[in-house]
Amino acid sequence: MSTTSFRKRIRQSIENETLQTALDNNTERRLKGKAAAFDSIPDWRERRVRARNIRADVIERLDEYLSQFIANAQANGIIVHRAKDAKEAIDHVLRITDHATSNSQSVTRKTLIAKSKSMVSEEIELNHALETRSINVIETDLGEYIIQLRKEKPSHIITPAAHLKKEQVAQLFHEKLGIPYTEDIPTLTATARKVLREIFLTADIGISGVNFGVAETGGMCLVTNEGNGRMVTTIPKTHIALMGMERLAPNLDDLALLLSLLPRSATGQKLTVYTQLLHKPMPGQTRHLIILDNGRSKLRNSPLKESLYCIRCGACLNACPVFRELSGHAYIGRDLSIAPYPGPIGSVISPGLFGENYFQLAQASSLCGACKEACPVDIDLPKLLTRVRAGQSPSPSGRGARGSAPKGYEGDGAGLTWTTKLALRMYTRLSTQPKLFALSQKFASLGAHLLSPHSEWMRLPAFTGWGYSKDLPRFAKKPFRERFTARQITDSNVSRRWSEAHESTKAATSRDVALQINRIQQFTSELTALSGNAHPTDDPTQAIIEYLTSQNVKRIYLQPNILNEARLRQAGIDFTHNPDPTLTVGVTKAWVGLADTGSVLEADEELFGSLLPEIHIAVLKSKNVLSTLADAIELTKGKNAVFITGPSRTADIEMTLTIGVHGPKEIHVFVDDSKRG
Amino acid sequence: MAILQRLGINVDFAPNQTCCGQPQFNAGLRKDAKEVAKHTIKLFEKTQGDIVTPSGSCAHHFRHNLLELFEGDPEWQPRAEVFSKRVYEFTEYLVDKLRVTDLGAKWDGLLSYHPSCHTLRGINVNRQPRALLQNIHGATLVELPNAHECCGFGGVMSVEHPELSAEWLKRKISNFEKTEAPTLVVTDAGCLMHMMGGLKRQGKPQRVIHIAEVLNQR
Repeated sequence: MSTTSFRKRIRQSIENETLQTALDNNTERRLKGKAAAFDSIPDWRERRVRARNIRADVIERLDEYLSQFIANAQANGIIVHRAKDAKEAIDHVLRITDHATSNSQSVTRKTLIAKSKSMVSEEIELNHALETRSINVIETDLGEYIIQLRKEKPSHIITPAAHLKKEQVAQLFHEKLGIPYTEDIPTLTATARKVLREIFLTADIGISGVNFGVAETGGMCLVTNEGNGRMVTTIPKTHIALMGMERLAPNLDDLALLLSLLPRSATGQKLTVYTQLLHKPMPGQTRHLIILDNGRSKLRNSPLKESLYCIRCGACLNACPVFRELSGHAYIGRDLSIAPYPGPIGSVISPGLFGENYFQLAQASSLCGACKEACPVDIDLPKLLTRVRAGQSPSPSGRGARGSAPKGYEGDGAGLTWTTKLALRMYTRLSTQPKLFALSQKFASLGAHLLSPHSEWMRLPAFTGWGYSKDLPRFAKKPFRERFTARQITDSNVSRRWSEAHESTKAATSRDVALQINRIQQFTSELTALSGNAHPTDDPTQAIIEYLTSQNVKRIYLQPNILNEARLRQAGIDFTHNPDPTLTVGVTKAWVGLADTGSVLEADEELFGSLLPEIHIAVLKSKNVLSTLADAIELTKGKNAVFITGPSRTADIEMTLTIGVHGPKEIHVFVDDSKRG
Repeated sequence: MAILQRLGINVDFAPNQTCCGQPQFNAGLRKDAKEVAKHTIKLFEKTQGDIVTPSGSCAHHFRHNLLELFEGDPEWQPRAEVFSKRVYEFTEYLVDKLRVTDLGAKWDGLLSYHPSCHTLRGINVNRQPRALLQNIHGATLVELPNAHECCGFGGVMSVEHPELSAEWLKRKISNFEKTEAPTLVVTDAGCLMHMMGGLKRQGKPQRVIHIAEVLNQR
């Protein structure tokens, strides 16, 4: 029976010690990181309410927001496609790919696509479709790259390789990439950097997901850490973005609020390293956006509508005791296929989007509510799980469904085994007929006393489920209803106690008033905490010359009009304003800095300065240090802009923080305090 | 019950009451859950006063799930609303309604507290049982590591997915052992039966008891 396969898979997960250790590490670090990140926004509860309201409004008026978003994106030069299902989305990708490569130089090599992480692409099984057309598609997120090499699916929506230990990655890289066996995570990461850098620079097409579309500006927001997301959206001549139709924010203000919760919930970061706002194509680039329905419209008109509020942070996975035992690969359908979305949210939307094949997932929950508590938009996941169980999913059949629904899967009690269902139905009969209920209590008691005459605890066999790990208490000889007498206790102390007993009101603890920290100081300390470097200076040209000289750097990429170029030449520093991927140092202009996250906001076009080199130097005027992302986000309107928060990083191997993945390993911000300019 | 009576409350027990119907609701058998709920609502409509339940999950079912169950039902939604407003979890009733936190209870030794999921997150009752436990004379309260984690009962889940249930139970018992307390206090009969059953199966001497039992020691 199918549930048995699911239970078998669960047992396999539990018995896999490597997996259990990896999962425990993931859970613990994520929960700790999240708690620490939320400490820095004391008003997070209010933010959570506002975020929920924003998402509820978006889903309520989705058609309106979508039209606005599409019109604005098109006006900015982005080519928008709608896809009602996976097939249409894939067809769009194939058409774009054909078109993009048809008039390219007649090289005989296969079309090469560099891809960054996108759950929508997993949902539509895009890679498989591309590979069958002989298109070479390479996942470039470190975790996704690892699982692609292993021919696996992601086990977590944020950290796809969370189920692996470093020894497994070491063996994999040794076998597939031919490097000497090493468990050193920085070496493994550096290997991926080297291999994938070539892919970024030569790919015909870049494919990415989208975290939010901004209706008011037509912009797409992408949050990433390694730098690969920025590369696939900016380097190849064609970029295809894939987005679920529900992933909208009404405007930039609302986006800023959502961004204050998303990375905190997902990875425990105040802001991800790269927070891109893409409003138009790059110079010489074609930018496509495919907006996917694939069951979402139906979901929106169903009792599971609230699940569309989800912003895909993965916090419910990390908080879930089921996920902690299972990992993503054990969330399987009746046809044994791995559900595209695991965890509590996955147990709602996998059945919600793809039907009865995944109903059984919703039964694997104690409804403990840890997911709802962790959710940054307060989705009532336990309630939604009970709705899936009640057969309230919109699609009766769908992906993976074979023929008509077998017995036990229709409507009420969806995904429940028939034995449990039968037992519960009998229990209902008893529970609605008090005399029968009382009688059955007596019988149960009698039976229990016969079965277990000497002990108050009975050992049931494992197949009963209960007997698997615990004993059952013997039922009382006399049920409470018989023992109950409503006689009043004539306690002389009653009235005295009553008057004495009062709840002591705790004195309200006075909240420490937040210290007024100078923005520049805060910017510096935040950047330093991220392993970045802030250099205060009155003369950025001089300071940068000194820095470069000390590092023995002779040639750099330099964004025009930010330093005194004559003095650079005099000092023997050669520079170019043209793209050159071989340079190790790039100097760019920061439009503004953000004090509370240590971020700088820059033009995304400056990738040869801020993304490809190993060392990124940003010049920031001290007067341009603002407080938060919300103060700066309007500046991104109509532009391709990126908030850069520290050096590029990953935690995809064993949750170990590694600095310098695809982007720079070092970031130096020269904070210009001079009065000139 | 003895505690409530000592506080001068006139306590009655409707003998025809059965189960709240949460097992059916949680399993997705809403038709069944409605039948049981209607039986309960009808029964208690014949009574007056507050309704106190010794299990947080029953309170959660009455307070939240019934409204979900009868949403949009012109007859039963209002009846469920009136009923649900009368329901209190035991410690919530003592602390929030009766304003009592010190019952003069006495206990010798260490106590630890497991906040049941539906008490803690379902109906947001946490400070109430903790306040009552703080005021037990002679007892030392030891914090349970990772107290907020589910014990693995989860009603029907413990039968449908015994493997999962067993893993969480193991974790919970091992955390309980770290406290070195011989007694773990709970506010839910389900968790009690589950964890006590686990301790018995493992042949452990520790006990899990309901908070009322501790508060009644004098």
